[in-house]
Amino acid sequence: MARIVCEQLTKRYGASVAVDALDLTIAHGEFMVLLGPSGCGKTTTLNMIAGLEEISGGRMLFDDTDVTFTPPHKREVAMVFQSYALYPNKTVRENIAFPLRLRGTPRAEIERAVEATAAQLEIAHLLHRRPQELSGGQRQRVALGRAIVRQPSVFLMDEPLSNLDATLRLSMRSLIKRLHQNLRATFVYVTHDQAEAMTLADRVAVMRGGLIQQLDTPEAVYARPANTFVAGFLGSPPINLIEGAAEAGAIFARGDFRLPIAVAVEAGRTLTLGLRPEDVSAPGEGLTTIEARVELVSPLGSETHLEVLTVGQVPLTLRVPKEWRAREGETIVFGIDPARLHVFDRTTEARL
Amino acid sequence: MQATPRRPVAPRVMRGMLLFCFSALFVLYVAGPVAWLVSSSLQSEAEITAVPPNWLPPSPSLSNFEAIFTAGERQVTYETRRQGDAATGGFLPSGASNLLPSLWNSLTVGIWVAVLNLLLSVTAAYAIAVINFRGRRATLYTVLATRVVPDIALVVPLFLVIRNLGLINSVGALVVTYLAITVPFTIFILISYFEGIPRDLYRAARIDGCGHWGALRHVYLPLSLPALVAALTFAFLTSWNEFVFALVLTQNVEAQTLPIVISGFIMDFTTSFSFVNAAGVIAIIPPVLMAVVFQRYIVSGLTAGAVKG
Amino acid sequence: MLAALHRRFGYDERSAALLVFPVVAVLLVVAAFPILYSFWVSLHDIVLTRPLRRPFVGFDNYLRVFDDQRFWVAVARTTIYTVVTVAVTTLLAMLVALLLNENFPGNRLLQALLLVPWATPSVVNGLMWKWIYDPTYGLLNALLLKLGLIEKYRVWLGDPDLTLLLIANAAIWKQMPLAALLIIVTMKAIPDDLYRAAKVDGAGVFQRFLHVTLPALRPGLMLVLVYETMISIRHFDLFLIMTQGGPGDASFTLSWLIYVETFRSLRFGTGAAMSYILAITTFVLSWAVIRFLGRRI
Repeated sequence: MARIVCEQLTKRYGASVAVDALDLTIAHGEFMVLLGPSGCGKTTTLNMIAGLEEISGGRMLFDDTDVTFTPPHKREVAMVFQSYALYPNKTVRENIAFPLRLRGTPRAEIERAVEATAAQLEIAHLLHRRPQELSGGQRQRVALGRAIVRQPSVFLMDEPLSNLDATLRLSMRSLIKRLHQNLRATFVYVTHDQAEAMTLADRVAVMRGGLIQQLDTPEAVYARPANTFVAGFLGSPPINLIEGAAEAGAIFARGDFRLPIAVAVEAGRTLTLGLRPEDVSAPGEGLTTIEARVELVSPLGSETHLEVLTVGQVPLTLRVPKEWRAREGETIVFGIDPARLHVFDRTTEARL
Repeated sequence: MQATPRRPVAPRVMRGMLLFCFSALFVLYVAGPVAWLVSSSLQSEAEITAVPPNWLPPSPSLSNFEAIFTAGERQVTYETRRQGDAATGGFLPSGASNLLPSLWNSLTVGIWVAVLNLLLSVTAAYAIAVINFRGRRATLYTVLATRVVPDIALVVPLFLVIRNLGLINSVGALVVTYLAITVPFTIFILISYFEGIPRDLYRAARIDGCGHWGALRHVYLPLSLPALVAALTFAFLTSWNEFVFALVLTQNVEAQTLPIVISGFIMDFTTSFSFVNAAGVIAIIPPVLMAVVFQRYIVSGLTAGAVKG
Repeated sequence: MLAALHRRFGYDERSAALLVFPVVAVLLVVAAFPILYSFWVSLHDIVLTRPLRRPFVGFDNYLRVFDDQRFWVAVARTTIYTVVTVAVTTLLAMLVALLLNENFPGNRLLQALLLVPWATPSVVNGLMWKWIYDPTYGLLNALLLKLGLIEKYRVWLGDPDLTLLLIANAAIWKQMPLAALLIIVTMKAIPDDLYRAAKVDGAGVFQRFLHVTLPALRPGLMLVLVYETMISIRHFDLFLIMTQGGPGDASFTLSWLIYVETFRSLRFGTGAAMSYILAITTFVLSWAVIRFLGRRI
């Protein structure tokens, strides 16, 4: 089992800094997701954990052993790539057996391990084929097989599902989750898809510009985002962010639009208010009532998305139960619980 | 109601005719001179000196080639050369017996150069293309820069060095020299090709437990067959065809390569034309054969990434 | 610091050093040393007829070269030769590429034939064309007489006006395949969509060539031009085989001058200086072609 510690981890390319003094501890057996937009440094960090990128500054420790300068083939990690990276000149069987072969594992044992892995991933019938003959989903399973056959203590995954189509992605996601539960190894998973992060992670590190914006469980990151970036990155449809200012008496104001907030802020401070689309309900006791005109109705079957324009010309996107009947041009009223509002300082973008 | 318009026939026929014409011209241009060479080599001296010339050998015979292959057995002195025989008709160059040994020399040198070249270039190209090491750029530019100075400038200093080492007329000296002049280009070809191989495969191999040697062996080499063939062919052809260095570094007949011996024939104005043409045909067969047989590999090997570079 | 040491002697660095060492070693001995030694020679007055006296003369040799009449004659000859060779090679290569890029039965066979001239040794190339140009028995004479283009047999290689062009012809024949190959590959990389869009816009065959093919071919053409220039400037083998600089000085190129100076006059100092002038010229020219044409096309 391995505990991974990144200590002030830095990666520089000439003058630009891709990863900026990152501090991250991944407990053993944990499923850690590095989440962020492209260019945020998540893949670079993963590559540094793997040993595929040279570390410009800081240290990397596996279970208290300094591996900063250990080359990748000595690090005993397994990795799954977005492009699958299967050896085209080898059969599926040879692909999966390869890491064991390199370690001089006796033949009988290799056969056993390959058969077991193939059975577990339901690709036993493909063992004699070559990667070119397989579909995307099958290739990804082979890639997973190649990774788990070694029974490593650390699994690294670089956007493994991005090349798959939507339905396949869902089934592979549960496969990966089940693998984690069965293998009880440390998983480090990179993705830009927040749904993957939410469903798979024990903890999420939201990254941007080479820095960790927030490191916490998915629920915490979703319910209490540390800044507007994190708030906007998680959740679909994305959180409504409204710019305005504080008024005396804990009121958020933007033009004619006013909402009481649950945080004490001095008057005049510029704020950004966050309202998750699902945090609205029918008007009721203790809730602020808002009146708005419906601009666009998008029924999804299971729920409905409404784009509305409130008093004060503030556009909002709402997720409402399918029973709510609303038509374009109509005016509706709904209630907001001030405790569920997210208040951020407009300039620092940090949560208040 | 409209009738579906039919594809006009005339432009297609036109295209076909144009293609045929140009193809014919192409074949004539590319293969014509060589065909004439071959035809001349199959003619006797009498036939070959006919005016107007015989396009096709009226009675094709391999006697010229026979003369080459048996030249060693015959003592060609100033007296005997004039007699010759009916086939060669005219004069055998006194160096005729050198042709076969020089053929053998060229073959030996060529094969050594091709094989050693591959060994040297593959490893260096891998390092430069894949490993990010300090001085990577400098190494590449230095390697390529050795080809900027024209060969003639290098001949004399090289001659002096090799003479001081007592290695004049040695196969080894030629091999090493040819290695130096072919390696830059083959490294270039291999680097271009290696860079076309997806980096993720390299990463997967390293993670699976390959060091650099393993990555080279399991990922880059298996997937680079066209480039390897192109490099081998280029190295062999260059050393087979090379002239200037061989001229200077081999002084005696035992060590001379084919081009040198043939150039001797050409300069010797008493040589029979048919004989010289036959010698030319012998010299042309191995490289042309290699080029034609490996053409597909050469093309894909030379050009993957070459133009982007 | 330990980190810096690791960077310098870590696994990657050690592996790279090991992998690159053989090549570097060979090149150092066989190429680097002669190159440097040759430069050193060019700075001294070394004549092999009096090998013991080798005074250092700085750049005198170079100045002497520029004063030498023969040098400028050689420059003129080399320029004409190079321009003609490069231009015609590129043009022919382009036509051949256009032909071979089309899909038609037998295309593969033609492609296989393409490399025949490239594989031909320069000695045989020279021999072949010399035989074709032969004044008494040559094919050229016979052909032209038959077609009625000449009245009697001519001594082709003895004609000072034609010699350079005839040699160039042999060189072009041998060089065209590689150039054509490079162009073909660039052509194949042009996405079909561009042609389809052009057709929809109403472009005819020639216009498509002008507006789609040519611009996309630019990097390939550049490479071809630079490579051909570098090669043609240094051509030597054909000149040795076919005309030896003659008749008179009709085919007296820079390479030939260097050869004569070094191996016949045995003046190594000036010979080396000439080589370096040639090397620098080649370098500058390639750079100029890249810069100038790279912007215009």
